Amino acid sequence: MNATTIDVDTSRGRTTRLTAPGTGSPHSFLPARPRIERSRLEGLAWLVSPLLLLAAWTCATRAHWFSEQILVPPQAVLDAFHEVWDSGELPGDLKISLYRLLLGFSLGGAAGAALGALLATSRQAQIYLRPAFHVLRQVPTLSLIPMFILLFGIGETLKIVIIVKSTIFPVAVATLEGVANIPRDYREVGRAYRLGLWTQFRRILFPATVPALLTGARIALGRSWMVLVAVELLAADTGIGQMMEIGRQMLRLDIVMVGVIVTGSLGFAFDLGLRWLERALLPWKHS
Amino acid sequence: MHSAVRVLKSLRGAVIPVLLLGWWEYNAHRDALHAYAFVPLEQVGAAFYELLVSGDLWLDLKGSLLRTSLGLATGVALGIGTGLLMAFSRLALTLINPLYQSVRQVPLLGLTPLIGLWLGNGEPAKVFIIALAAFYPMVLSTYEGLRNVDVRYREVGQVYGLSGIQSFRRVLLPAALPALFAGLQQAVPFAWIVAVAGELLFNVGAGLGNLMMVAETGAHMDVIMVCVAGITVLGTAMSQLVSSVSKHLQPWRQ
Repeated sequence: MNATTIDVDTSRGRTTRLTAPGTGSPHSFLPARPRIERSRLEGLAWLVSPLLLLAAWTCATRAHWFSEQILVPPQAVLDAFHEVWDSGELPGDLKISLYRLLLGFSLGGAAGAALGALLATSRQAQIYLRPAFHVLRQVPTLSLIPMFILLFGIGETLKIVIIVKSTIFPVAVATLEGVANIPRDYREVGRAYRLGLWTQFRRILFPATVPALLTGARIALGRSWMVLVAVELLAADTGIGQMMEIGRQMLRLDIVMVGVIVTGSLGFAFDLGLRWLERALLPWKHS
Repeated sequence: MHSAVRVLKSLRGAVIPVLLLGWWEYNAHRDALHAYAFVPLEQVGAAFYELLVSGDLWLDLKGSLLRTSLGLATGVALGIGTGLLMAFSRLALTLINPLYQSVRQVPLLGLTPLIGLWLGNGEPAKVFIIALAAFYPMVLSTYEGLRNVDVRYREVGQVYGLSGIQSFRRVLLPAALPALFAGLQQAVPFAWIVAVAGELLFNVGAGLGNLMMVAETGAHMDVIMVCVAGITVLGTAMSQLVSSVSKHLQPWRQ
């Protein structure tokens, strides 16, 4: 806990958390704003604008300021959610989208970590692979969609290949940097203790690389999710992106908004999940 | 003798690309089925020349670049404005931040069906999504950049008796510049990629994405490859440009 943060009973019986001046962000000229420790009242303040937005949205639809094609009431979005959930459409689409993401991400992540580790440790790999690696990683995944459609059709292969492409390079780059940034002392200690290769990997290489690897994985997962939704919008007969595309074609704004909210929540959940994993695996980084 | 060896050694990085290209050529000339996917490289060159001469490439390139510039300018300006507001006003921070953080979670291109319903498939929709791509990183980098200015710099400004505007121009802005450029370094290539992807999804008008979609329908792999190469080269060039401008404006950081 932050030692310079104290809880004070105010006259109204509410507990307000005080932070010593300048300790929230020690080198900033702006008033200290603690990042984690927040009073309960302040915590509620974050709800103000979403609630205001919701109120404005409700008012606008009640007063019919916009046509139904432009703005549907919040209740309609909720109803649409129940509609596509109960019909089994949304669960089915979500399942297939998540399956694609998971499969592509696992394949790409494993390949990326292996490639990054190879590039970081082997001099031969560096000489022969590095130029090709750095050229290929510049190619934007999204620009490859038309090419991959011609090569792989619009089936499952297309989605998996696209996600592998969008995962492999961020993970490889992160691994490469993680290994490259291991202080030489660590490796020398490993050699001095005459640790076996496996022990060196497990005790030195792996723990020192995990932070970078996890950051890379987080970036890659976010990007892959966006790319997957885009591919499903463009060329798919199943998946959450396709549900939104059909919604758009049928002018069902409510279904499109369900899709936006669901993809957003999932993106948020992925990010949160990997951050949680980071804290669980690397408690020293967050203490 | 020695230098010849060195030249040979420096060519080792080219071995794998050359092998890959050779494999591609081999497949291209095997039979008609392979030639469908593996277009002969000379045909890609010919397609490039043809697109260049006919002016199609230039037309679509101009469309994409103009659109990107417009979206980028709008998004960067609004992003910096919002970031400034959040850094200086606590009320703005409390009101904007929750909305910003939640809207940002939606995969950007997942917003295209919604934007399509609101703005149609035309220019406004495409520019909007590009602006959004530039807006997100700029808000965050402006806010963080200003918040992390060392308090000692500000004190020096006070000692010199600078006014509010002077201290912003002389102290805060230069101190936040690295963060702003870090934001631009993300915003510019991302806006470019989103511009092309937006053209794939909102498929009307001139643009490299449209050119690719038309080529895909007609199975013209050669045209697609020219586009992919062009998009990659331009994206890399834009990143390079931002980083050289950044170095030029902040010579003290080298």
